[in-house]
Amino acid sequence: MTMNTSMPTGMIPGSSIIHRIHPVTKILWVVVYVILAFTTQNIFILYGMVIFAVVLALLGGVFRPLLKALYLIVPVGSSLIALQVLGPAADKPWTVLAEVGFVTLYGDGFYYALVLLGRIVSSMLLSLVMVMTTHPSDLFLAFSKLKMPYTFNFMLSMTLQLIPVFQREVSLVLSAQKSRGMKGSGFAAVLPSFVPVFVGAIERVQQLSISLESRGFGSSGEKTSYRQVTARTQDWVYGICGATAMIGLMVYSIMQPGLWNLSGMIPFSPRTILTSFTVAVTLFASVILGATFLSFRKS
Amino acid sequence: MARKGKHGFPDQIETDLAVKVEDAHYVYPNGRVVALSGVDLEVRKGELLGVIGQNGSGKTTLTKLLNRLLKPSSGSVYVNGLLTTERTVQEMSAHIGYVFQNPNHQLFARTVKDELEFGPRNIGTPEEDIAQGVAEAVDFFDLGEFIDEHPYRVSFPIRKLVGIASVVTMKPSIIILDEPSTGQDHQTTRIINSLMRRLAEDGTTVICVSHDMPLLADVVERVVVMRDTKIVADASPREVFADEKLMLTTNLQAPQITNIALQTVFPLGGPIALTPKELAADIESRLKKGKR
Repeated sequence: MTMNTSMPTGMIPGSSIIHRIHPVTKILWVVVYVILAFTTQNIFILYGMVIFAVVLALLGGVFRPLLKALYLIVPVGSSLIALQVLGPAADKPWTVLAEVGFVTLYGDGFYYALVLLGRIVSSMLLSLVMVMTTHPSDLFLAFSKLKMPYTFNFMLSMTLQLIPVFQREVSLVLSAQKSRGMKGSGFAAVLPSFVPVFVGAIERVQQLSISLESRGFGSSGEKTSYRQVTARTQDWVYGICGATAMIGLMVYSIMQPGLWNLSGMIPFSPRTILTSFTVAVTLFASVILGATFLSFRKS
Repeated sequence: MARKGKHGFPDQIETDLAVKVEDAHYVYPNGRVVALSGVDLEVRKGELLGVIGQNGSGKTTLTKLLNRLLKPSSGSVYVNGLLTTERTVQEMSAHIGYVFQNPNHQLFARTVKDELEFGPRNIGTPEEDIAQGVAEAVDFFDLGEFIDEHPYRVSFPIRKLVGIASVVTMKPSIIILDEPSTGQDHQTTRIINSLMRRLAEDGTTVICVSHDMPLLADVVERVVVMRDTKIVADASPREVFADEKLMLTTNLQAPQITNIALQTVFPLGGPIALTPKELAADIESRLKKGKR
């Protein structure tokens, strides 16, 4: 039996508190969350946000499927740490940590890698929690309440709904090609796997657009929905509290001197950075070597 | 003596059977959907087998266990004496060809010819054998005028034939056809009908999963009926299609001609006709004899 390690991209039905929160509230959370993640460089705030997203996932009962998304942290995190320690994305002068042969390692890079990783992981986790706990139609309705243009809203909603369809399609195509002796992974598998999926996607979109037009898509007038979502008092409270807290943190991290950039305040020891760098390089190299090995062996 | 596989079954057995499935169960990875329960099946080499059943009865899961696209949750599956769980799909592809229902799931090459050569190349067939196999397939499927066309520029029935031909060129000893005639015109269905007969004549084992009862009634020599993840009948098409209770409980419908025969000539001592030809022959002989 194989474990399904694909990214969770569809709604997981449930009736948890997170499922019941109004979609507009959740969208508001995601928006301010992403803005906060990309405005602060305070790693306490960033990793606090990661923990908060995990708590929401636990409350929503979607933690296990969310774990699949954490697979991404290994290649992304290890490459960020390895590359940033070699060349930080920060203003010079950089603090030299050690010189190994012709390679110079910089302490600042480790801090920036953690910041970048925190931004990616916190934004990704909260967005996935929202997608996994919100019915696509409710999301559609929420966007239309926010006065998003109908066509754009529909496009977004269809995209979300088509992702699992294409995931199934990829799996079917891979099965069909493996049945003809194709290697299941690597560069040789790219063309045979993606051409059928790509062509299928174009055909599906063509058929869908004809089907939509034949059912009056694009006609004027107010659109109705089968599903109705009403905002309760607690939805307003959650939304306002969440947004206020995050905007507050944003303002705090910008206004407070020294909190915009905490690199000077977190004294990572050279040993910690060197150990993390070695682990990251090993992991990153393993990922690259593993992928290369898989592309050449018969799976 | 063959070594034992992970689940304690010998990884290779001496057998004259093309397929041997023993007490196979399959539960989907989410653990909630049981797709196959306690299936036993033996298929002789060169046999023409039809698999029928309602949607969701387990037909496709069963056939996917055979070429190792799926691994049984328990039980064993042997193909040409090889325990499939100990082999990769690629290894099994040299033994068992699988034609998917939708040809669009497999066509990707620049030309029909490249598409036909893809499978044999993957399993290391020598170049001269590939050329010969492709030529034979082009001739049989009448694909000569499309050989240099892009597979997506030809009509859907031709695309279906290209999909089947791309597996036939691998010359596996067993071929699984998943709904080969669904959505196809009469001419394509006729070609598929002849293909199945010819493959069987050449000694290839053919397993055809289909809802096309007239096609199965005409071609296969044995029918396996599935219901609710189990095999509930395994007999000749005549026995299966004449069993009205079985057809009713499995929500299947025998070929119309069989139903007509059952309601007309059969009570008068006539045959359980599977094809219009059989029924016509009986009516003709009755007319000649002046019988009712």
